[in-house]
Amino acid sequence: MLQGLDYCLKMEVDNVVSTVREPLNWSGRWNHIQKVLERSGPFAHPDFEPSPDILGFLLNNCKLLVIGAGGLGCELLKNLTLTGFRHIDVIDMDTIDLSNLNRQFLFRQNDIGKAKATVASDFINNRVKGAEVVPHFCKIQDYDASFYKQFHIVVCGLDSIVARRWINGMLISLLEYDEDGNLDQTSVIPMVDGGTEGFKGNARIILPGLSACMECTLDLYPPQVNFPMCTIAHTPRQPEHCVEYVKVFGWEKEKPFGDAPIDGDNPEHIKWICGSACERAEQFGIQGVTYRLTQGVIKRIIPAVASTNAVIAAACSTEVFKLASSCGAPMNNYMVFNDADGVYTYTFEAEKSETCVACSQKPKTIHFKPTSQLRELIEFLCQDSMLQMKSPGITTTVNGNSKTLFMKSIPSIERATRPNLSKSLADLGLSSGQELIVADVTTPNSLIFILKLSDQCSAET
Amino acid sequence: MANKQNKYDRQLRLWGDHGQWCLENSKICLVNVTATGTETLKNLILPGIGSFVIVDKSRVNGEDAGSNFFLDPNAIGESKAKVATNLLLELNPEVKGEYIEEDVANILETNPHFFLSFTVVIACNLYGETLQKLAALFWCNNIPFVTCKSFGFIGYLRLVIPEHCIIESHPDNSHEDLRLDCPFEELCAYADTIDLDAMDKKDHSHTPYVIILYKYLMEWKKAHSGAMPKTWKEKKEFKKLVMSGIRKNADGVPEDEENFDEAVKQVNSALVPSCVPEKVQKIFNDPKCLQLTEESTDFWMMVGGLRQFVSNSENGLLPLRGSLPDMFSDSDKYIKLQNIYQGKAKQDMEAVTGHISQVCTKSGCGNGKISEKDIKRFCRNAHFLRVVRTRSLQSEYESPSKSIMDSLTSDEISDAVWYVLLRAVERFQSTNGRLPGMNNAEWESDVNRLKNCLYDLLKSWDIPGAVEAISDDFLQEMCRCGSSEIHSVASYMGGVTSHEVVKLITAQYIPICNSYIYNGYKSTSVTIDI
Amino acid sequence: MIKLFSLKQQKKEELASGTSSAGKRKATAAQLRLTKDLNELQLPKTCITEFPDPNDLLNFKLIITPDEGYYRGGKFTFSFKVGLGYPHEAPKVKCETMVYHPNIDLEGNVCLNILREDWKPVLTINSVIYGIQYLFLEPNPEDPLNKEAAEILSTNKRQFEQNVNRSMKGGYVGSVYFERCLK
Repeated sequence: MLQGLDYCLKMEVDNVVSTVREPLNWSGRWNHIQKVLERSGPFAHPDFEPSPDILGFLLNNCKLLVIGAGGLGCELLKNLTLTGFRHIDVIDMDTIDLSNLNRQFLFRQNDIGKAKATVASDFINNRVKGAEVVPHFCKIQDYDASFYKQFHIVVCGLDSIVARRWINGMLISLLEYDEDGNLDQTSVIPMVDGGTEGFKGNARIILPGLSACMECTLDLYPPQVNFPMCTIAHTPRQPEHCVEYVKVFGWEKEKPFGDAPIDGDNPEHIKWICGSACERAEQFGIQGVTYRLTQGVIKRIIPAVASTNAVIAAACSTEVFKLASSCGAPMNNYMVFNDADGVYTYTFEAEKSETCVACSQKPKTIHFKPTSQLRELIEFLCQDSMLQMKSPGITTTVNGNSKTLFMKSIPSIERATRPNLSKSLADLGLSSGQELIVADVTTPNSLIFILKLSDQCSAET
Repeated sequence: MANKQNKYDRQLRLWGDHGQWCLENSKICLVNVTATGTETLKNLILPGIGSFVIVDKSRVNGEDAGSNFFLDPNAIGESKAKVATNLLLELNPEVKGEYIEEDVANILETNPHFFLSFTVVIACNLYGETLQKLAALFWCNNIPFVTCKSFGFIGYLRLVIPEHCIIESHPDNSHEDLRLDCPFEELCAYADTIDLDAMDKKDHSHTPYVIILYKYLMEWKKAHSGAMPKTWKEKKEFKKLVMSGIRKNADGVPEDEENFDEAVKQVNSALVPSCVPEKVQKIFNDPKCLQLTEESTDFWMMVGGLRQFVSNSENGLLPLRGSLPDMFSDSDKYIKLQNIYQGKAKQDMEAVTGHISQVCTKSGCGNGKISEKDIKRFCRNAHFLRVVRTRSLQSEYESPSKSIMDSLTSDEISDAVWYVLLRAVERFQSTNGRLPGMNNAEWESDVNRLKNCLYDLLKSWDIPGAVEAISDDFLQEMCRCGSSEIHSVASYMGGVTSHEVVKLITAQYIPICNSYIYNGYKSTSVTIDI
Repeated sequence: MIKLFSLKQQKKEELASGTSSAGKRKATAAQLRLTKDLNELQLPKTCITEFPDPNDLLNFKLIITPDEGYYRGGKFTFSFKVGLGYPHEAPKVKCETMVYHPNIDLEGNVCLNILREDWKPVLTINSVIYGIQYLFLEPNPEDPLNKEAAEILSTNKRQFEQNVNRSMKGGYVGSVYFERCLK
């Protein structure tokens, strides 16, 4: 059981002076984590076999993607590189702002305006010897499946639901199933996700295809608060209503900066909105419109502190460490945190939804000849005994652009796509491996089909 | 200045400029450089504490440099305190920092006064006699003391605070203070000018629910010899009564009146009787409140004044909070109502101010030194006042609390078990002069040694049988981890600890009482009053 | 629990360079949901949708031609913009026809609760269209965007009706000129 002991570590707690300084692995560098990686433990994952190879895997093979180089991202990069991960890519489309400095500790005053991903990577690579963090100063949507496929684990420190849902969908689309519909577990890329708001936060693990995904639990993320339009227009009662009024009506009407849209980061814009909102507030006897409040409403600012970011990023990092090494069982699977009144955590199992729009379905493969007409494909969907669809609408993506192949329910689209029915699949620009989205009354969600084209096949699943 | 406002914008929205002022005037001491310790300091330096001092005599070794972001492998052999201080200072030019290359036990011996100038003192990985002595020093001097450590996947944090008084506890969900059960004169006067029946349709559907509930409560009370709806059945009937007020169109179909919907929805919370919350009542009966002296702090002076206000008031209630939640209404009626609530709150506050100055004079305390702003904040938060007192560390070590005993004898093992194991580890350390699991050759045999320590500990608590309840798995994990600091666990504890320190510095939000255990195996945690 | 990857597993480079799916963007959850919404659209006979680009399902128009109520005979166009946040966020709807209506202002802002404060992800494009249609059958003077119109609707229904007719035929109501929008 203890093969690890042959590989004897010299503990050098007291003996420090004679240490040979190697550039990357100085003596004792990984002592802390080696204990849990090279000793067996009853709380480890059942498959855990303690071995020095695990550290080797973390150091040399394991590839992580960190999405977001902000409050959580900075912490994640520090935590992960100090627990043995070296090969990390980090994506962030933002640049550094003064208001980031109260928590995004890899940035300094003179970094303002530079790309977060780049500055964070440089700092980490400089401080943590051997770390090879690669920055990507762009949107996650700029990369496709071939990029995301290369990672063992994806860790998210995002403030946007849209981005979380996008990466969730991407990781689900990378799942592969065998002919019997069994999930190929090597295609599963775990997603560890953290989020914070003031003193509240949450950390969760998503095993795409196996455990609850973002879409299964979309209810856990409340939609943003919107005031009723008529309140804003005619019955304001709160300072926020006055600011919203200027945002929705005043800006368009008065065009204080020509055609420029509102820029929440432009102090002149905020000043103007604040001034107009003050006038409106005075008109109604409302108190409390300030510059800070105005900016908060316009930018929908979410308060943020260093401590909560540290906690949530750390909880995520520990899970990544356990997932990659099996030295502990992963948490199951969602933790909420709040430290306004004492310190409160609650860890529970978010449940996978059987009808989830994203992860409940296994994409079915259908085979056609390139010369088959779209009409045949639709007939197949309606006649196949397992499907028996009534009036399927089909969309897909060709050359990066969405394309509606056929949809009967909407007359204008029906007219526009009717000619497609008699076109061959090849002529429609479809290629083998193509993903088709099919909606029909017979299923609660749209279904995804993978189209395989070859000359030998006739229609069959 | 504007620069600072922008830099700290995201946190100012939480604890305000006055909270920030407290932070910027604080002085923090860290004893022992560990990853948990430097991560805690990092999260205090970023939001802008005034200054810090690090006390540590030891030198950087390879192990530390591998797991601590603020130690540099190129500085192996140099002073830990110095290296960490320099790297931490890079985080925020507004914060000053110093280090002292000396052993904490030594300072305690030669110059204990050194410690007495700090706002909060944080100690990491401190054991035994030194820990006890340090804690006792702060206990006598009423300085908040925080001790914490990370041990493998487990984190531990203990606050030792003789007394911590909170005005702004920022409750997450509190009842509004609307006084519909005992409406004040000005509210009645305004509401009585309103005649719902005489209103046109638009006015009727734009009258705030507070007025609607007031009207129908009057009607109800008239029919029930002055009593409020109390039982579930009565409340249901009352809701019906409110709904009967919804206007009907020519065909007898009820119109859409959002304000009435809101009124019905608010019935239950609006009918919660106004009262002095139990926790505030307890503060009123605190000896510190009953015996004010010239030594009393502003907080207790204000509590004294508040108590007098309550006992002199007709209905025995706290000053009105004065805030009105947003509700469906036209602007005019809402603002009028808001002004009535605010006006009454101001009146109450002035009365409280009078009482405070009376008790100040009576107790020989300087008059008028408490600012109007402070009193206003105090009155607005009167329902949410809190006083937190933990046990001393000494008393914890003399006898374990009932809660920890209960958790050991209950059927389901809670994360509190890790506290007991950490205590056993402490025993191990004092017997063996080292921590369990420190070296690879002995870590497995340490399991039995640790079990003996655990047994001795439980015997000293008079529950030797409890050793059966603690599976050997826990002991093995403790030895496996061997006091290693996994960076992410240290960082978690650094996050939690720093925020508890912010609470202590700003006197906002409610700190834990008194110990917190984090279980990184399962990502769970527990707070225990030990 | 499953074992997700063995230690032997190298960087997934061979996978990455293998079956390249470059350029093939995957369907987003918003697209899946919207396709479903649209395929199941069941419009009242007074409503039709127009897709200027049938391949772009995220942007389309709704044309309402009420056959009863004050607005009978009129023709009103609304633009729908569905974002990637759908259905977590509501679609953005504006009225492109200048209309004399208490709940629609002259800039085309629409006051409909399910478009803002009462939006929920279970609602669909269909629910929004029905909501808008209802505004033409039952204009609501209580919570107006166009205050003048609301005032007149609640005080003088005949006058309101005349104003609506005048605006739909093309002409001035007060100082505001309305383009003709009869069918």
